[in-house]
Amino acid sequence: MNQGYNILGNKSKIKQIRLRPIVETSKDIRGQILFSSQPIAFLQGVDPERGIITQNKHDLFQSPVAGKILVFPNAVGSSVGAYVIYRLRMNRVAPKAMVNQRADIITASGCAIGGIPLFDMPADSIDVLRNVVMGRIEAKESLLTFGLDLANDDRGE
Amino acid sequence: MYLTPSEEKAVSGEYGAPLQMAYRVLLALGRLSEAKRLIPIKWAHISGVSYLTIGDYGLDFLQRISKLKGTKFKVFTTVNPCGMDIERWDSLGVSSEYAEKQLQIIGAYQKLGIASSFTCVPFQSFKVPPKGTHVCWAESSAAIYANSVLDLRTNRESAVSALASALTGKTVYSDLHIEENRKPKVAIRVSVSKKQLSGSVDFGVLGYFAGKNTKDVVEFQGIRTRRPIEESKALCAALGTVGSAGMFTVGRTKGIETIDFSDKDYISIFEEISNSDTGEAIVFGCPQMTIEELYQLSKNLDGRKLEKRCFVFCSSKIYDLAKTRGYVDAIVKAGATFVRDACADFTPIISSLNIDSVITDSVKGAHYMKSVHGVKAALVNTKEILSKNLK
Repeated sequence: MNQGYNILGNKSKIKQIRLRPIVETSKDIRGQILFSSQPIAFLQGVDPERGIITQNKHDLFQSPVAGKILVFPNAVGSSVGAYVIYRLRMNRVAPKAMVNQRADIITASGCAIGGIPLFDMPADSIDVLRNVVMGRIEAKESLLTFGLDLANDDRGE
Repeated sequence: MYLTPSEEKAVSGEYGAPLQMAYRVLLALGRLSEAKRLIPIKWAHISGVSYLTIGDYGLDFLQRISKLKGTKFKVFTTVNPCGMDIERWDSLGVSSEYAEKQLQIIGAYQKLGIASSFTCVPFQSFKVPPKGTHVCWAESSAAIYANSVLDLRTNRESAVSALASALTGKTVYSDLHIEENRKPKVAIRVSVSKKQLSGSVDFGVLGYFAGKNTKDVVEFQGIRTRRPIEESKALCAALGTVGSAGMFTVGRTKGIETIDFSDKDYISIFEEISNSDTGEAIVFGCPQMTIEELYQLSKNLDGRKLEKRCFVFCSSKIYDLAKTRGYVDAIVKAGATFVRDACADFTPIISSLNIDSVITDSVKGAHYMKSVHGVKAALVNTKEILSKNLK
């Protein structure tokens, strides 16, 4: 059930993956996917005033995270990173949701106190989301729908 | 994870924002560890108090949540040391900028309802509940001590998770809360040429070695089951400084992986930690001094004067007790300075001294002197420190 599968027939490139909810939401989420295969050190690696990744040599260096579905393996570094995630939310520059490979304590507690939906996908590789532009997470089932066709799809939030 | 109907309501926000946030934290962490449910706790101990550790972001969070309507700790809650002596910080090299922020953090915690002492050895200052009681303690050294010496049940919690438990009176039923997970998975066989390990340096070195080489509940083979409190404290602190083990046992379990702790291992850890032959100041109290240690110190000073600057870290509660027993006066008379309710490692006092090295009996202390302040440490047992530094 955890494999991406085709729901609209062979001609469509839309796929679905069931995520594991860590911090859940009651609303569906639709947004641009910001993908990185590198872990994020929130303390010192993210500027919570501007909502920008400032970690040197990170493949998302200088990228704004506000309103995105931020996909990355997990957090690393200081546990104070949880407060940075909270502050991103208070400053209204937080991602709309986060998706981890396997969520860790820093990301989970940060998203929980900040009220940012967090999911992970221990059974699938987040690598399937590399190069994906848009995604939609259906709240009730934690179902992530993604694909090129979604760019012109206006369902969801 | 199963939630009771009232826990469900709390998560959905029916009981207000503070409880929603706290239950969200527990639910998230419960899902990470695939726990089945939450359980009630009797005592929460929260880390993340020194401004030097949590900074402006932690302060911002604490201030915001303490101002929310109805935010109050539900169970008995203690907190870790802060970064300064609250009553006399200005004479100890702490800037007013730092002090202001530190007092704001303390104010936020006090508003939420904490016991009156800032300590990393809460079991010294407050009555310990019966064996088997579930608690929720952050501060790795205290959590390991709780599991291994006091026979309480706790995981190694974080600042945020312990705060969530203080607000809800509950914790995630996982790992070391569950009886079958408290059996040792790996053993360290002590096979050094000296007959018995003794003193905080020996036990600190052993704990550091164990922390580096194990991840899970660890059994020590070949050490005494009954030890002075300072040896257990040193062992727990060093074990928590490196690695992730939350508990140790002492015994002779057969059939588990066994790692030898030899003279060679002892020397290699000692040399890694003790990177100076001597130090410009003496630091006692990482973790904070117990009443027994203050008694020993006052006795061993024997009316003589210390040749170097000496800082003694303990909780204000233990300080008050030691004062009534005359230990404080004896120690101050020798020239030492008490720093109450502060952490010896995460305090701006050390940097303000402008020194390159300290003398300490603590492996944990030596580790953080280097990593936090860039200060080297000479690792020496208390008795030896005194024999070399008294006039």
